[in-house]
Amino acid sequence: MSRVMGQIPLLTLVLLCVVTTLLTDRFLSPINLNNILVQSSIMAVIAMGMTFVIIGGGFDLSVGSTAALSACVAAMVMLEAGIAAGVVAGVLAGACVGLINGVIIAYLKVNPFITTLGTMVLFRGVVFLITGGAPVEGPEGLPSSFVAFGSMRILGLHALVWVPIILLIVLSWVMHATPFGRQIYATGGGREAAYLSGVPTARITALTYVICGALAGVAGVMLAARLQSGQPTAGEFYELTAIAAVVLGGAALHGGEGTLYKSVIGVFIMIILGNSLNLLNVDSYWQRVAIGGVIIAAAAADSLRSKR
Amino acid sequence: MPAAINVSGLTKAFGATRALDHVDFSLDTGETHALVGENGAGKSTLIKILGGVYRADEGVIEIAGEPRSFANPRDAILSGVVTIPQELRMVPALSIAENIALGGLPTRRLLGFIPAVDRRRMRDEAQVYLEQLNFQADLDRPVQSLSFAERQLVAIAKALRLKCRVFILDEPTAALEDREIARLFDVLARMKQQGTAIIYISHRLDEIVTLADRCTILRDGKVVAVRSRGDFQTHDLIEAMTGRMAHEDVDVSPQPGRTLIAETQDRGDRMTVRANEVTGLAGLLGSGSDQIIRRLFGVGRDATAVQIDGKPAVSVTRPADAIAADIGFVPGERLLGLVMNLSVRDNILLPSLVRDNNRFWISRSRGDAVVRELMDLLDIRPRRPDLRVGSLSGGNQQKVIIAKWLARRVSVLLLDEPTHGIDIAAKMHVHALIRKFARDGGGVLASSSDLAELARICDQVLAVHNRRIVGRLERKDGLDEGRLRAAIGGTL
Repeated sequence: MSRVMGQIPLLTLVLLCVVTTLLTDRFLSPINLNNILVQSSIMAVIAMGMTFVIIGGGFDLSVGSTAALSACVAAMVMLEAGIAAGVVAGVLAGACVGLINGVIIAYLKVNPFITTLGTMVLFRGVVFLITGGAPVEGPEGLPSSFVAFGSMRILGLHALVWVPIILLIVLSWVMHATPFGRQIYATGGGREAAYLSGVPTARITALTYVICGALAGVAGVMLAARLQSGQPTAGEFYELTAIAAVVLGGAALHGGEGTLYKSVIGVFIMIILGNSLNLLNVDSYWQRVAIGGVIIAAAAADSLRSKR
Repeated sequence: MPAAINVSGLTKAFGATRALDHVDFSLDTGETHALVGENGAGKSTLIKILGGVYRADEGVIEIAGEPRSFANPRDAILSGVVTIPQELRMVPALSIAENIALGGLPTRRLLGFIPAVDRRRMRDEAQVYLEQLNFQADLDRPVQSLSFAERQLVAIAKALRLKCRVFILDEPTAALEDREIARLFDVLARMKQQGTAIIYISHRLDEIVTLADRCTILRDGKVVAVRSRGDFQTHDLIEAMTGRMAHEDVDVSPQPGRTLIAETQDRGDRMTVRANEVTGLAGLLGSGSDQIIRRLFGVGRDATAVQIDGKPAVSVTRPADAIAADIGFVPGERLLGLVMNLSVRDNILLPSLVRDNNRFWISRSRGDAVVRELMDLLDIRPRRPDLRVGSLSGGNQQKVIIAKWLARRVSVLLLDEPTHGIDIAAKMHVHALIRKFARDGGGVLASSSDLAELARICDQVLAVHNRRIVGRLERKDGLDEGRLRAAIGGTL
C-alpha cells in the first residue's frame, strides 16, 4: 500500500506524458523533449535546494531572487575577471543569501516564511540596484565559451542537463549516507527530540538554507549561460514552481520527509504540464489557473497523507 | 433503573487488527468502573466509541436504556457522556471562565439586539463549579498559566457544567503528584454521590483497587473478566491483563563502583552518579527533582559543570555537551525522545551520528548490526528496523529510546518518568533493562512521581524538597512506597 503511495509522483508523470502524447504528436518531437529537459534542469537544481530546506522543516521563498542575483553577479564578475571567477562569485552570492536566511531563521528564531519573504523582496531590490535595472551583458557580450556552455551538447545531452544529473547523484548520497543528511531528516521530523539526541539543530537548519542558496546560485549561473546575460528580472515565480514541485514529489511541508529524486520528478510534472498546455494551445490565462490548481491539489494531498 | 451505559457486542476493526471483538460492558448509575488492560488491549478504542470519536462496526450502545449512536463527540456530550482525555484540549490563551463556558457562552443583547458575551454570568457560573471542586483561582487567568493539575480541574468544571451523566477519565493521574491525586479522588467521590457514573482508566493498579466498584479487564480486544470490589488485588489484575504471572523480584546489584560523574559546584542538590548504582530522586511537584535531571543533561534553567571519571571539569550547557560526556537522557514524553516519522533504525542510531560527525559517511552494515542486536536484546516488537517509530506501541517506543543510548554506549542514563503511560508488562521489562544497565557497570539517575517504581528499581533514593536533598534511603534499609512518601513530605 505505502509502496504504491510512494510511487504516486512517478505514476502521475507517466500518466501526464501518455495523455499529452495521445493529444498532440508534437510532444515527442526531439526539439520539444530537448526544451523540456533544459527548462527542467534549471528548476531541478533549485528544487533540490528547496528539498533540503523543506526536509529540514523550513521554507524558502527567496530562491527566485537569489537566482537572479547570482546570474547578475556572475555576469558582472565574469566580464571583469574571467569565467571561473564569475561562476564562483555567482554560487557564493547565492550561498551568502542562504547564510543570511539561515542565521536569521535558525539563530534568531524568526519565522522562515516571513524571513524569506523579506529576503525575496530585499535581494530583488539589490539586483536592480547593482544592475541599474538593465541586463548585464557588456559591450561584446559574455565570454563566448561561457555562452557556448548554454547551448553545447555532451554525450548527446544538452550541457546544462548534466548539472542536475551530477548534483542529484552527489546530493542523494549526502542525504542518505552521511551523518549530516540523516541529521537533516531528524531535525525536520522532530526538532526537540533531535536536539535532545545531541543533533546541533540550529546549525543543521542554517546549513540547509546555505545549501539551498548555493544551489539557487548554481541555477542563476546556468540561467546566465542560457540567456547569455544576467537578467535582473529573471527567476520570478521560481520559488512557487520549486515549492510546488517538492510537494508534488511527496515531501511533507511539516518536515522530515522527502526524497531528492522525487522532487526532480515533481519538477518534470510542473514543466511538462506547462509545456503540454502550450502545445494544446490553452490560453495563457487558463494556464495560470491550471497551475495554481495543481499547487493546491499537491498541498491538499500532503495534508491528506499526514492525516492518514 | 436502567444502567447508565449498556454496551453489547461492540466490535471495531482497524484494517486487519480487531481493536474490539464483541465487547459487552455495563456501567451503573453512580458506579465507578475501571477499565484495565495492556496497551493495545482496546481500552482507548472503547472509550473513543463511547465518546463519539470512533463509530463501532457492530454492536449496540444504550444510554439510560435507549439505543444511541454517536456521529461525533458533540453528540456524545449532548447525551451526557463527557470524556477527559489524557491530553487536555483547551484554548491556552483564553481565561479559566471562558474555557469552562466554551461551547455554550452565556450571552446578552446589547441595545436589545447585538449579541454579546455576558461576562458576569459566565464568571458566576464558573465560580459555582470551581467551588464544588474546592478550587480557588483567579477566573481571568489564562489557562496556559495553570499547572496540569489545575487545568484538569478546569476541564472537570467544564464537564460539571455540561451536566454529565457519564464521566470518562483516561489516565487522569499520569501527570499528577500525590496531593493532587488525593484532591481528584475527593472530587470523583463527590460526583459519584451525586449519581454520576465514572469510567476510569489507569495504569496504576493500586489506584484502581482503592477507587473502583467494578473492574472490566480487557486483553487483545476481548473482555477477559469483570470483577467487583473486594474481588481483585493488584497481582490478580496483572495476571488477568497479561495472562502471565506477575513476578516482582528485583536482583540486588553489586556494591556501587567508581564515581562516573560528579557535579563540581557546591549546591544543595549536588549530584554524583556511581557505577553499578541506580539512584532515585523523589519529590513533590515543584520540589526540583525533575530539574536536577534536566540540569545534568544541559536543558535545565541553570547550567552545571561536571567532572567525568576524575578528569578536569567540563561545563554542560546543551544536550550535546552531556552526550559527549557519555550521558543519555530518557524523557517520559516520547515526543521528546523520538523523531516519530523516522524509522526505528534511524532513531536508534541518531545519537551515534553525532559521534560519527567527523566521519564522512556512515557504514550501513555496522549500523544494521548494532540495531539488530539491540532490538533482540530489548525485545522491541515488531522486529522491523525500517518501520516508522511512531507506529510502535508506547512500551516499544520507550525501549527504542533506551536502545538509542545503548547504541551510543553511554555510561550514565538520566531517566525522567521512564515508564510514563506504558503498560505493566512493558514497564517491568523497562525496569529490568534499567537494572541490567546498572549491573553492567552503568550509573542511573531516575526521577519519577511513581514511588512504587522508585522503590522497585533503586539502590538508593534521595528525597528532594525545595531544590535541596533532604533525605536519603537505601535499599538495605528497606525501600517501600510508604517510607518514600513519608520522606518527601507527602501524606501517607
